[in-house]
Amino acid sequence: MKTVGFVLTRLARDRSALFGLVLIAALLVTALLAPILATHPEDVFELHPAERLRGPSAAHWLGTDRMGADVYSRLLFGARITILIGVIAVGASLMVGVPVGLVAGYYHGWLSDALMRVSDVFLAVPQVVLAIAIAQTLGPSLPNVILALSATYWPWFARVVYAETRALQKEVFVESTAALGASPWRLTVLHVLPNIASPIIVRASIGMGFTILTAAALGFLGLGPPPPTPEWGRTIAESREFLPDAWWYATAPGLAIFLTVMGFNLLGDGLRDVLDPRLRRARIARDD
Amino acid sequence: MTDRRTWLIVLLTLVVLATMPSIPAAAQTRFVFANESPYDTMDPHAAFDVGRVAVRLNLYDGLYRWLDNPPKLEPWLAESHTVSPDGLTYTFKLRRGAKFHDGAEITAEDVRYSAERILALKKGAAALLATMLAPGATRALDRYTVQFTLLKPSAIFLAVVPEVHVVNAALLKKNEKDNDWGAAWLTSNDAGSGSYMLTRYDPAVGFIAKRFAGHFMPWGPKYIDEIEFRLVKEDNTRVLGMIKGDYQGTGGYLPNDQVKRLREAPNVKIIEQESMRIMMFQVNNQRSPLTDVHVRRAISYAFDYDGFNKDILGGSVERNPVPIPNNLWGVPRDVKGYAYDLDKAKAELGKAAAKVDRPLTVGYLQGFSQTEQAATVMANGLRKIGIDTKLTSELWPAMVERMKKPETSPDLVVYWISTYYADPNNWIGEMFHSGQWGTFKASSFYKNPKVDELLDVALRSTDRKIREKAYQDAARIVVDDAAGVWIYNTKYFGPWAKNLEGIRFSPIGNGQEMRWVYYAK
Repeated sequence: MKTVGFVLTRLARDRSALFGLVLIAALLVTALLAPILATHPEDVFELHPAERLRGPSAAHWLGTDRMGADVYSRLLFGARITILIGVIAVGASLMVGVPVGLVAGYYHGWLSDALMRVSDVFLAVPQVVLAIAIAQTLGPSLPNVILALSATYWPWFARVVYAETRALQKEVFVESTAALGASPWRLTVLHVLPNIASPIIVRASIGMGFTILTAAALGFLGLGPPPPTPEWGRTIAESREFLPDAWWYATAPGLAIFLTVMGFNLLGDGLRDVLDPRLRRARIARDD
Repeated sequence: MTDRRTWLIVLLTLVVLATMPSIPAAAQTRFVFANESPYDTMDPHAAFDVGRVAVRLNLYDGLYRWLDNPPKLEPWLAESHTVSPDGLTYTFKLRRGAKFHDGAEITAEDVRYSAERILALKKGAAALLATMLAPGATRALDRYTVQFTLLKPSAIFLAVVPEVHVVNAALLKKNEKDNDWGAAWLTSNDAGSGSYMLTRYDPAVGFIAKRFAGHFMPWGPKYIDEIEFRLVKEDNTRVLGMIKGDYQGTGGYLPNDQVKRLREAPNVKIIEQESMRIMMFQVNNQRSPLTDVHVRRAISYAFDYDGFNKDILGGSVERNPVPIPNNLWGVPRDVKGYAYDLDKAKAELGKAAAKVDRPLTVGYLQGFSQTEQAATVMANGLRKIGIDTKLTSELWPAMVERMKKPETSPDLVVYWISTYYADPNNWIGEMFHSGQWGTFKASSFYKNPKVDELLDVALRSTDRKIREKAYQDAARIVVDDAAGVWIYNTKYFGPWAKNLEGIRFSPIGNGQEMRWVYYAK
């Protein structure tokens, strides 16, 4: 395993990864400081019908929406929801996918087969389609979106962990630890897991971007948290009625989603280059 | 070389052959309507709403029909009718030679069967009809005479007669399963006599029907050959489709901003008509803390009526503070209703015995962005008086299902009560008489013996003065009880393709009866 310092130094040299990191940092700061940065923090709930659909101005930096609320302020609070969805959904997928992958990778037999076939079934259906089906069945709400995303994303982790665990089983240190009589639990958690952390981290970073994009799609389709939640996908859906006149209304959350997803993807790519020596070599060779 | 030429000739012949049948087809005229809610059934007796009215108006016929605006009751399958002096017996003379789509003649037996079927299935207009007509009280006197004997004299029976859509009894009996009155079969089939015949139905998409040349009502010189009514869920998609010319008509429930956009489109015209359509929140009077009149009054004071009507809807609607349309009789003119006043709302909450200790669910309709906006305005007002809300949405048919029982209905639901017949009973009567629970109109689940009594008086009497007084008194009580939140009465702003002529708007059906409509050259 590489140290955090090493990873950061490496990342800092990769310009696009650094850019991704900056974008994500900006998102985190935005979410954390939303009440301070927002010019109209009360507009998450508040309406001003008389001021609806005003263009960007000094009072409303990104204009107002169909209810007269400040688009900029709602955008900032929307970042919180986005991060919440991303972190919990990816976290839950990790909690499910990693153990499943470890067990399926470590044991050879019907259990392993059964677990992997189940994950295959999930992977066979496009994630968005499955997530729509789940969210529609359970009803539109924030917890259900998170549930739908978690339920459809864990197989990716299971796949990665399974493949890596299988590969590690042939390694001398695993075999010798097993020969010393270590329990399967000790072996997988203390010895295998730390050695496959890199691909998991990479997958998680890319998964964040992917999950946020899917969450926005669900919100757009009306399957996300109900109004007046300032969720970005929902905001875009609302704004469509007023295009092209109220261009600011759709542009702001659209750009926000774009930058966030790009941030996570660039960071994920950068991490993969740093953490996976084979790819790094390939990349250095290409750069030359 | 010769070989290649032969192939070319074969290919050309094929192309010519393939295009030939489409030449007469091009002369066929077609109309597509983009509907806000799905057509989950084709059974004319299963629904009694505007969302699925196109099925009833185009595929089926009743004895009488509401036409034009202000709505007039015109003889349709019936030629005439008589009422006995005691007001209990209605006898209808049927038109001779009127045919169902399968060619069978429409007889009094079919009418009898249809009335019995509505009462037996207990859906759609059954709740209303059952207050006047008992099962077995309809008789076919002869092949062309049908007689209804009412439970008590009714001022509105004739107004509801058009809703007794006549189905082909013989055809349905053939398709019956376990004495279900052919309900399973009719869900996706056609047993009507209407101006159009069903050719294709998909509950996820909608229905297509072609002109029934043999309809008893003579066709005009110009008409539309094929009509399609299709579910298009989003306001925006409908509007863009109208502008692009994909759809030739859509519902008149669009937000004002959309109407504005459509007015600017070169190929769309907006037909503006006086109408009677009240937007309101149904408040679930049976669920605590909404059982407390002070909590309900607080809710009525917490909605920003002016902000919604004037700013968000751009003044295209008129405040309607009572559950009877302003432009109809029976309205107590001295009742001002509730205004947006948060201080009064808080004061009412202070007086309430029940504590609002949970978030209230506010339901709105998917596909109608105006209901979502109204729900948001309501949620905002309630938050200011310290009441949390949770917004929940459904497609119309699913919401109708939820509104059947107080246990499943949301705390508040916002939608419209349109005109099904032009009488105050269509609004206040069906909304607040406890005998109507289970229909979507009565989803306030209000129960007040005094109001029930007044509404019964109004229905029993045929004297307009007595009826008017009864409705006014009932309205006063219901408003004082804040049994619901009534927002506005609106005009109809119906978008239609510019080259369509003959659209015959009636508040009943919103112009969706297509037999009158044709394309100008």
